[in-house]
Amino acid sequence: MIVAACGDDSAETTTTAAATSTTSGATTTTAAGETTTSAGTTGPQPGGTYRIETDGIAYTSGGDPSGEYLGISFGIFTNLLARTLLTYYHTGGANGNSLAPDLAVDFPEISDDGLTYTFTLKDGIMFGPPLSRPITSKDVEFAFRRMATESVVAQYEFYYDGLIDGMALSADLPDSIAGIETPDDKTIVFHLTKVSPDFVFLVAMPATSPMPEEVAGCFLQAGEYGRYVVSSGPYMYEGSDQLDASSCEALVASGPISGFDPENHSYFVRNPDYDPATDDPAVRANYVDRITIDLNTNVQDIYAKIRAGELEGAVSSGNPPADVLQAYATDPALAPLLKEGGDDRTWYITMNLTVPPFDDVHVRRAANLIMDKAGILQAWGGDISGVVATHIQPPGLSGLGADYDPYATEGHRGDLAAAMEEMKLSKYDTNGDGLCDAPECSGVVMINRTSSNWTASEPVVVNSLAQIGIQVAVQEAENHYTIIQTVANNIPIGMNPGWGKDYPDSSSFVGFLFDGRGIKAEGNYNYSMVGLSAEQAAELGVVFGPTVSVDADIDACKLAALESEQGGLDCWNALDMKMMEEIVPWIPYLWPNILTTIGPAVTSWDFDQFAGTTAFSKLAVDPSLQR
Amino acid sequence: METRESAFGQGEAPREPEVGAAAIVGRSPWQLFLIRFRKDHVAIFALGFLVLLVLAALFAPVIADRVAHHGPNDLFIHDPVKMVNEFGLPLGPNKQFWFGADRSGRDLFVRVLYGARTSLLVGVVATGFAVFVGVTLGLIAGYYGGWRDTLISRTTDIVLSFPLLLFAIGIVGACSASTEGCFGGLIKPGLQLVVFVIALFSWPNIARVVRGNTLSLREQEFVDANRAVGASNLTIIFRELLPNLVAPIIVYSTLLVPSNIIFEAALSFLGLGVPQTVPSWGRQLAEAAEVFRVAWWMMLFPGLFLLATTLTFNLVGDGLRDALDPRTGR
Repeated sequence: MIVAACGDDSAETTTTAAATSTTSGATTTTAAGETTTSAGTTGPQPGGTYRIETDGIAYTSGGDPSGEYLGISFGIFTNLLARTLLTYYHTGGANGNSLAPDLAVDFPEISDDGLTYTFTLKDGIMFGPPLSRPITSKDVEFAFRRMATESVVAQYEFYYDGLIDGMALSADLPDSIAGIETPDDKTIVFHLTKVSPDFVFLVAMPATSPMPEEVAGCFLQAGEYGRYVVSSGPYMYEGSDQLDASSCEALVASGPISGFDPENHSYFVRNPDYDPATDDPAVRANYVDRITIDLNTNVQDIYAKIRAGELEGAVSSGNPPADVLQAYATDPALAPLLKEGGDDRTWYITMNLTVPPFDDVHVRRAANLIMDKAGILQAWGGDISGVVATHIQPPGLSGLGADYDPYATEGHRGDLAAAMEEMKLSKYDTNGDGLCDAPECSGVVMINRTSSNWTASEPVVVNSLAQIGIQVAVQEAENHYTIIQTVANNIPIGMNPGWGKDYPDSSSFVGFLFDGRGIKAEGNYNYSMVGLSAEQAAELGVVFGPTVSVDADIDACKLAALESEQGGLDCWNALDMKMMEEIVPWIPYLWPNILTTIGPAVTSWDFDQFAGTTAFSKLAVDPSLQR
Repeated sequence: METRESAFGQGEAPREPEVGAAAIVGRSPWQLFLIRFRKDHVAIFALGFLVLLVLAALFAPVIADRVAHHGPNDLFIHDPVKMVNEFGLPLGPNKQFWFGADRSGRDLFVRVLYGARTSLLVGVVATGFAVFVGVTLGLIAGYYGGWRDTLISRTTDIVLSFPLLLFAIGIVGACSASTEGCFGGLIKPGLQLVVFVIALFSWPNIARVVRGNTLSLREQEFVDANRAVGASNLTIIFRELLPNLVAPIIVYSTLLVPSNIIFEAALSFLGLGVPQTVPSWGRQLAEAAEVFRVAWWMMLFPGLFLLATTLTFNLVGDGLRDALDPRTGR
């Protein structure tokens, strides 16, 4: 299962519209249209090519919008190729987490019982080549039918499964879905089985973008459709017009589209059938004529080329190397070309409530108190890398912000005295000296990643825990997620996980991660096993169960979200506090920044808060400055 | 003129040398070896370095405590002693940190010192296992011949034909996938696993060498003589064959140690070696690769020590071979 890995490695993120108003991701970049120092005074001009290199885009489904579940793909689809009923403003900060009508004329009409959502489509919305035909409500419906087809392996189908009436995975392409009606070409109606105020976010996910049955219906195996994607957005893959869509056979014979090869490149050109009048310039500005993304496995080379003006940007699996960041941050001439955005994500250490010594809340609290979070931040690359996390939900998703810190210590460096006081309350401190001294306290297996930010911060975590007597044995592994997602491994503690929102609502964060009903033997993302029932414990063979549950709190918050103006934020925040103070499943340590550099020819750049990546539809260049 | 009894005590009393004639001195093979080895200045110098290295490794905790005043896992990431900058990059050598620091703000001098422990420990222990297995199997195959020889020799061929680094990576990866380790928990991830994997792949060469030597030795008269007087196979193997195999075994072991040290470094470089709390040169080199452009010291010092150690082991091995078996020309 990729659910958690996605939530984590991807940058999909954002906050609820309500939440964002209070927080404003501290670090987002300027609004669209910002000009850099080297640009002309007239602002961004249309035209030109924006050149990007990547050290590897991780595709979860070969570029199929139904199956792609990582931030970069979300960014590419929602900015360039795939319009949805609602979408985001493709900008940084709170505004980037706000929804805007896209294919729909307006926000949906919601019935009084909260169960029926009706959308009306705009006029003039078209599929690009090779179809060049109007988009209808049937095409949106088909996206849902396709998602429900098992062989497509739609990665986040679970959000819709059971929520839309009649939506469930089926072996073959379903003819219809009971809860989706298309009374005419311009109207689509969704009938939900339960009140779900976050449904508006769910129709902004790329998997719900309209798909033409005559093309997408030919490719019902995972990973097949990616190279035949028909665009509904302002750009299309170069060579899309070379496809012959007269039949499935003709498609395969004329394909794949030359402009997209997941192993090598993505080239985007303007979609001639896109009518800017149907879009909002604040959502998509579409300055450049062409965007190229090429593979280059040498990260240093990518950033050197950007600096030299041979490239405009990078799409990277991580932030630029520390020495690149240092060079840009310390040189006033380069500083404006270093861009950052908040990544509505929390990096944390997970503690397993079913494995000693972490089955004792006092041990978990003591571990929070002793942790040298400032040291971890330092090893990650210092202040430029983000801010110390003090609770579950990142600031972009909650109103709590960094002011709420139940385990505050001086300079975030940990407090030995306070941690020992807490440890004294634990049964694992057998002699009351403030140290974990029972046999369970040594040789505690801790999972970690093999990549440098994690290995560099690992000694900080190891040393911190050792101060209160917890001696961990670290296991660094490539398949770190599989290890902690397999319940039978009974991993006591892991410093590998992180979680980024799928969409800007707490129900995809605190309301999702600790739901005991979601615990499963494999692909489990509730690593702490919060809310494990006695039956589940017996079924999964977990000895130290059941555990304390917050399922009722989660359900209450979802209800509250429907009734309150601000989306139940107070309720979610109260749950966040309860998690930190009473349940204590995590040691949250970092709310990271996403950093990148841009070339001197860039005249407009923006961050996409929803996708946590470059806002591809807001880019502009001055070709005279390109090398 | 002083003469010595032959160590082998053939019982023949040395003759008094005639006046004016060159003294003919009976010398044991051991004496001959020492004389030859002493003349090899390169080997002696290399041996001196190894002795120093072993001492440094043995007394690493004392040196760390008395000289550097901190241990290999102490972190210097906060004021007043901060060895990383505001971008998380390590700082270079200074008076207190002779080799600079690594990304976690640890003293590289102390970690390189402790790295010698890991390298030598893995090198020597894994070689020890390999030699034990290799000599045992080589003797059995060479002495008994027949189906035993076929079985052992073909097994040796098979193991030798493995792409060993790939295979080692596979085994280490598989055994590290869970905390249980491999073979029902017999082999746990970490140092143990590394030693096991290295030993697993380094015995075949020595087995071949021993088998070859044994094949020729068992046909010689002194073996026949032993058989004739009714000596058992074990007696022949332990009293007659093994002593004659000491020279090649020593030489081969000395050459195997550096290759095993490199093997450990390679595994650690790939992140499959020992855990981070156990400093290893290979892992230090891997960590250096990412920040080499701004932190040359992280590459230089572990690299230099790895090079010097493997080079000197090889030089000593060469010297031993020349001294033990003068017939082999260079």
